[in-house]
Amino acid sequence: MDARLSGVLKSRDARPYLVAVPILLAVLAIDHGQGRVLTLSSAFSVLQQFATIGPTALALGLTMIAREFDLSVAGMTNFAGCVAVLCGVQDPLLGILAAGCMGLVVGAAQGFLTIALRLSSVAATLGGLLTLAGAGYVITGNATVGYPRMDVALMVNSPVLAIFSLRSIFALTTFVAAALILAYTRIGRDLIATGSDPQAARVAGVRAGLMVVGVFAVSGFLAATGGALVSYSIAAASPAALTNTLIPAVAAAIIGGVSLSGGRGTPLGIAGGVLLLSMLRTGMSAVGIPPFAQDLGTGIVLFAVALADAEHLRMRFYELQRIGRKRPA
Amino acid sequence: MLQLDRVSKSFGAVLALSEVSLSFEPGIVHAICGENGAGKSTLVKILSGQFAATAGSILYQGSPVAIPSSRAAQQFGISVVAQELSVCPDLSVYDNIWLGSVETPFFHKRSTLRARARKVLSQLGQSDLSLDTPVRSLSLGHRQLIEIARALVRNAHTLILDEPTATLSDGEIGLLFKAIESARAEGCAVVYISHRLNEIYALCSTTTVLRNGRLAYTGPTSALSREDLIRHMLGRPSSEMFPPLGKTGREAALTIGRLNVPERIRDFSARVAAGEIMCIAGQIGSGAIDVIEAIAGRAYDASGEVEVGGKRLALGSVERSLGAGVILVSGDRATDGIFLNLSVLDNLVAANLSGLSRGGMLRQAELVKFARASGQKVGIDVDRLKARAWQFSGGNQQKLAFGRLVGCKGIRVLVMNEPTRGIDVGARADIYGLMRSFCDEGYAILATSTDVEEVVGISDSVVTMYRGEVVGRYRRGEADSARIVRDITHPSPEGNGLLS
Repeated sequence: MDARLSGVLKSRDARPYLVAVPILLAVLAIDHGQGRVLTLSSAFSVLQQFATIGPTALALGLTMIAREFDLSVAGMTNFAGCVAVLCGVQDPLLGILAAGCMGLVVGAAQGFLTIALRLSSVAATLGGLLTLAGAGYVITGNATVGYPRMDVALMVNSPVLAIFSLRSIFALTTFVAAALILAYTRIGRDLIATGSDPQAARVAGVRAGLMVVGVFAVSGFLAATGGALVSYSIAAASPAALTNTLIPAVAAAIIGGVSLSGGRGTPLGIAGGVLLLSMLRTGMSAVGIPPFAQDLGTGIVLFAVALADAEHLRMRFYELQRIGRKRPA
Repeated sequence: MLQLDRVSKSFGAVLALSEVSLSFEPGIVHAICGENGAGKSTLVKILSGQFAATAGSILYQGSPVAIPSSRAAQQFGISVVAQELSVCPDLSVYDNIWLGSVETPFFHKRSTLRARARKVLSQLGQSDLSLDTPVRSLSLGHRQLIEIARALVRNAHTLILDEPTATLSDGEIGLLFKAIESARAEGCAVVYISHRLNEIYALCSTTTVLRNGRLAYTGPTSALSREDLIRHMLGRPSSEMFPPLGKTGREAALTIGRLNVPERIRDFSARVAAGEIMCIAGQIGSGAIDVIEAIAGRAYDASGEVEVGGKRLALGSVERSLGAGVILVSGDRATDGIFLNLSVLDNLVAANLSGLSRGGMLRQAELVKFARASGQKVGIDVDRLKARAWQFSGGNQQKLAFGRLVGCKGIRVLVMNEPTRGIDVGARADIYGLMRSFCDEGYAILATSTDVEEVVGISDSVVTMYRGEVVGRYRRGEADSARIVRDITHPSPEGNGLLS
């Protein structure tokens, strides 16, 4: 095989796309030629799923690349949805702007706390998650808030070029922008360096602290704007509605090749992870697999990826073989 | 021009640097030598913005400046090759060379910058190395060269190199010297820190010796004989430092035959008698540490015929090594040595919990009694049993690691890496005394050290290694510093080394 092609196939970014192939084949086999899978409407549906999970997964994934962990993204999507719905009745753009600014500020604050007080980002953002969830209940009075602008709800969901919607176009744009920044700018390089070895980056002259604050601000912004759009699309916001975004976001980032120890992973890979999960869900729904079995499917994929990631797998195998060969005296 | 004016640095009660005044002149290569713990690296870290001086000032072109970060150091034209590698494994060679440079533009992939990076690499003899290779896939030596390239590419006024040659081959060292010489000729002030006296005499026209954080000598290198240099570094005859040799038994406690670790060690063999201290001398990458790791059961792919007290030991498992009577006393206390977050008492009893409990319950009174006894034996202040281990100095932490061994049943062999890493001179003598007292009780010690004085002073026998292979073996009295240094830096011509 061409060395370059084999390099691409072995890269961690390619993994979700490679895993997608057998999954698609499996779903097609279950479909058994009834034509429920390969349709424009299922492509649309996959991209709608992508738009729901994508920004949150990207937000979390970017913090993971910087060797941090932003758990607050789940609370952020919820809370931002409530903010947008409450502020965006007159002007929907104002709602999104309010949500985005809130995300940026809260994210930056969490990053600042992490750096200034040398907190673990898991602890700091777990606090953020709970605080945002609580704040959601406060501003909505613990009730689902309807969004009276049905025109906006229809607009963000209506198909563009058959398979896209405004929401999915936004999500895809954030991924493209993040990919370009990581690949071609000094900020991207410094972010990867910070995640790869924070001390080494600092010694080299990278402002590692600033990178961490920045990545948390961006994470907050992405999760918030994504959440605002989701709330618009369902014409409602509830403080409890979206708490189930965290697990898919983590799963997508890990499947997409983001390393838990930082420094590795790309937006392209995370996008692949999100796409894979969306395909899995949509495909399984299309062929009539019940939701509980869908979770099982996702779980198996994640488990397989975790196994493939195990750095010491070779050593363990070696040990097992050796113990198998001869028992020590 | 960069000057230090009565700069001091203390860490808590420990004075790492005391009123040091120096100036680094353009066009001069200035050596800084001293033992481990003399304050060299502290000095480098102050100049590179990683530590703030506790007192005194740094003058840049005559006026006092503050250097709060690496970035600030760069702005004063200071560029550093640190002793600890600071390359990021997930970035490419190109990105690592320009990482953190104030010159990199927002869109950092520029052909002009690539050309400059390539030029510096070819100056270091690495024109074959692709700029897009991820550093993760490179050897330690290459990573070191990239670190050096990063310092050179910045066109610094002051270039500081802290032990840059530890992982380089002779050829690479030659190229580095040429690069340093050309930087010097262009008017750069070079600060060169090294243990290797040969390099200092070959390269540096001015030499400064630090001892216990103080200036012991500064002046022209030519006015300093090797003997004087060593005397300034040690500040005392080396005989006072080390305990008298003990009596070595005849019976072999540890026999190693044809020990191999792929890409690290080739056919290492040795025999350590009960009561003997054997030191393996070698630099980073020589395989010395890998021998220790393999015998301690921490190298999964190690193979060889190892016997402890006449019984065969299957390598590759720490539990098996412990069961056979081999225990690791690591100089890397933070990761492998002791429990820094636990109390002194918990550390001292850690290896004997089963003997100090009944029915699964620990007997508190017994624990305290036991800890006091072992603490006293190794010279720890037993009134501080409740203190956390991290509150102790490096020397006392190392004593804790020894204290844990007291009363351990079935242990015959102690394997140690860098037994006195980061320990000040006073406490070192105590550690050496402890090593000898353990040997007098019949333990055998196999240790590795990069500190040649230590190797000569403490060992009953010495094995020197270079690039995975044994270079020489010396019994007590045969080994001297010069021979060992020659062995570990310039191997015999017939041995090409495993990793070359």
